[in-house]
Amino acid sequence: MIRRPLSVRWTIALGVLSALLLLGAYAAMATWQKQRNPTDTTIPNLTQFVDGAKRVFQSRTVTTAVELPDGSFDDVSRTSWFHSWFWIDASATWLRLAVGLGLGAGGGILLGLLMGCFTPIAALLGPPLDFLAKVPPTAMLAIFFVAVGVGFNMYVAMIAFGVLPTLTQGVYTAARKGVPQELIDKASTLGASSAEVVFHVIAKQALPAIIEGARLCIGPAMVYLIAAEMALGDAGFGYRIRMQMRLQDMAVVYLYLVLLGFAGVALDYAFRTLLARLCPWYVKLH
Amino acid sequence: MTHAAAPSSPPPPSAISPGAAGADPVLQIERLSHRFGARSVLYDLNLSIRRGEIVALVGPSGCGKSTLLRAILGTHPPTEGRVLCNGRPVTGPGRDRGIVYQRYTLYPHMTALHNVMFGLMLADCGLLDRLARPFRFAALRKAHREKAMEALKLVSLEHAADLYPSELSGGMMQRVAIAQALVMEPEILLLDEPFASLDEATREGLQQFLLRLYQQNVADKQAGRSPRRSMIIVTHELNEALFVADRVVGLSQYWDAAAEGLLQNGRHPGATFIYDKIAPVFAPADLAAGAAANIPYHLLAAQREDIRRVVMDVAPPATLRPRRAHVQFDEQLRQGLGQGVLAP
Repeated sequence: MIRRPLSVRWTIALGVLSALLLLGAYAAMATWQKQRNPTDTTIPNLTQFVDGAKRVFQSRTVTTAVELPDGSFDDVSRTSWFHSWFWIDASATWLRLAVGLGLGAGGGILLGLLMGCFTPIAALLGPPLDFLAKVPPTAMLAIFFVAVGVGFNMYVAMIAFGVLPTLTQGVYTAARKGVPQELIDKASTLGASSAEVVFHVIAKQALPAIIEGARLCIGPAMVYLIAAEMALGDAGFGYRIRMQMRLQDMAVVYLYLVLLGFAGVALDYAFRTLLARLCPWYVKLH
Repeated sequence: MTHAAAPSSPPPPSAISPGAAGADPVLQIERLSHRFGARSVLYDLNLSIRRGEIVALVGPSGCGKSTLLRAILGTHPPTEGRVLCNGRPVTGPGRDRGIVYQRYTLYPHMTALHNVMFGLMLADCGLLDRLARPFRFAALRKAHREKAMEALKLVSLEHAADLYPSELSGGMMQRVAIAQALVMEPEILLLDEPFASLDEATREGLQQFLLRLYQQNVADKQAGRSPRRSMIIVTHELNEALFVADRVVGLSQYWDAAAEGLLQNGRHPGATFIYDKIAPVFAPADLAAGAAANIPYHLLAAQREDIRRVVMDVAPPATLRPRRAHVQFDEQLRQGLGQGVLAP
C-alpha cells in the first residue's frame, strides 16, 4: 500500500475530484452567505465574479493634457485595453519581478560559481552572504527606500537582494560539493584548462541546481514584491489587492489571487521544461 | 623545509637504475617523500616502471597508496623527491597520465560516447574552433566520434554509446572510464581500486580485459615495437594483483626504521616500498570459466601468503621487518625470471 504506484487515469481523476470539491465547497459557502446577506461581497458568487472580471479586463479611458501648436493645453482622452487594471498591474508587477529576479539570479549564479571554484572568493563572500540570507528582505525595505527611493528601483533592489544570498549559497553548494574533486582532477588529466574545467565540468554539473534554485526563488520573490506593492505601490497586483480589499471588492481580489496562482504554476512549468531540455541526464537520474 | 629523517643513500636496488629495472622506463619515482604537517606519510620511495608493465600496488589501509597515486597524477606534489613520466618531471596533471577511479568515474551530464570524446575535444578544439571555425569544428567532432566509438568497441560498449552514466551498470561505467582514459593514449594508466565495488563476475570480466591489453603489450614487444599501455593498479585484492599484474609492489608503514637509524625524535618516517617482486603472467583464457587447470594455484597461494605476511599488516607486528628484504624485483629480472614484457 505504501508508495504503491497509481495509474495515470486514477491520478487525473483524483486531481479533478479535488478541484471539483474545492469549487463545490466554495459555491455552497457563497450561496449560504448570499442567503444571509444578499448584498455581501466578501464571498462573491459567479455573477459577482463576472462583474469583477469585467472591471479588471475592460478598456479604460485615460485623459491627459496635451500641448497644442499655439502653446495652449487641451485634454485628450484615449480609451485602450492597455489602460485596463489588468494590463497596468500585470505589466508593473511582472516587469519588476523579471528585472529583480534576473539581476538577483544572475548575480547569485555568477557569485555561487565563483565561490564554488575559487576558495578565496568563498572565504571573502561567505560570511556576509550567510548574514544577509538571514535578514528578511521586506524588513530591509526601509534601506532600499532610503538608498534608491520609492519606485521601480526599490522593488528591483528588494527582489534582487532578497534572492541573491540564498541562490548564491545553493549554487555554491552545488558547484563545491556537487562536483567531486576526482572529476575535476580527471578533467585535468584529459587536458582541460581551468576555464574549461569551470565551464565543461563544474558549471554544467551545477546547471540543474542553478535552474532549480532559480525556480524556487520565484515564490519568495513574489512574496517580497506583493508585500512591498501592498505597502508602497501605486500600481501592481499587490497595490490592486490592497485597494480592492479596502472596498471589500473581493471578486477582484480573488481573481488576482487566481491569476497569481496560475502565473506561478506557468513559471514553475516553464522552469521544469527548461530543466528537462537542458539537463536530460538529471531528469533521468532523478 | 627539511625532512623528518633524511633519505638514506645510496638508493635501494629497486630505484631508477635503467640497466636493472628497465631500459625504457615510462615512470620513475625518485626519492619521493611526503608529509602532512608534522606527520610523515611516505618515505624515500624509489621505483622505475618499464613500458608495458602492469604494476599492482598493494598495502594496508592508510599506508599512503592514494597519496602516492596523487603524487604521480600531479594533483598533490610530494614534499620531497620527484616523479618523472617519460623522462619529464611531473608538475601537475597531464594527458600523459590517465586515471580511472573507483567512484565518480564518469561525468554524469555526458553520455558514454561524449565522456570518451571529452578528452579528444579538449585536446583538439580550442575556443576559436568552437566559435569561429564551425566547419573545422564539425570535422573534428566527426573524427572524435569515430575514434570514441572505436574505444567503446574496445570495451564492448558500442551499443551503450548514447546512454548516460546513470543508465549504466557499475561494470559498464568502469569500462567506459577505461575507454575514456585509453582513447587519450596516455603514457601510463593509473587505476585506483577500479573494480572494488563490482560483483565477482563483472570484476573477472574486467580483469580479463586488462589481460587482453597486456597481451597486446607482449605482442608489441615481441614484434620489436614499444608496448602501448603501461598501468599501475591500486588494489586491496591480492588475487586481483597476482592475476592482472606482472609485478607486485607493496607499500607499508610497518618496517624497521630504527634498525637503519632513521627514527627522529622517536618518530617513524612513514610508509615505503617493502615488497617488490615479479608476479606470474596469465592470458585471458587462463581466467576463463573451465580453465582452472591453467592456473598454478599452489604458486599463487604461496606468493599471496608471502604478500599478506609481509605487506598487509593492519597493526604493527611484533617484529618489524627490514625494508629491503622483499624488494627483489631487479634481482629476479637479472635471474631471467621475468615473463610477458619483462621476459629477457
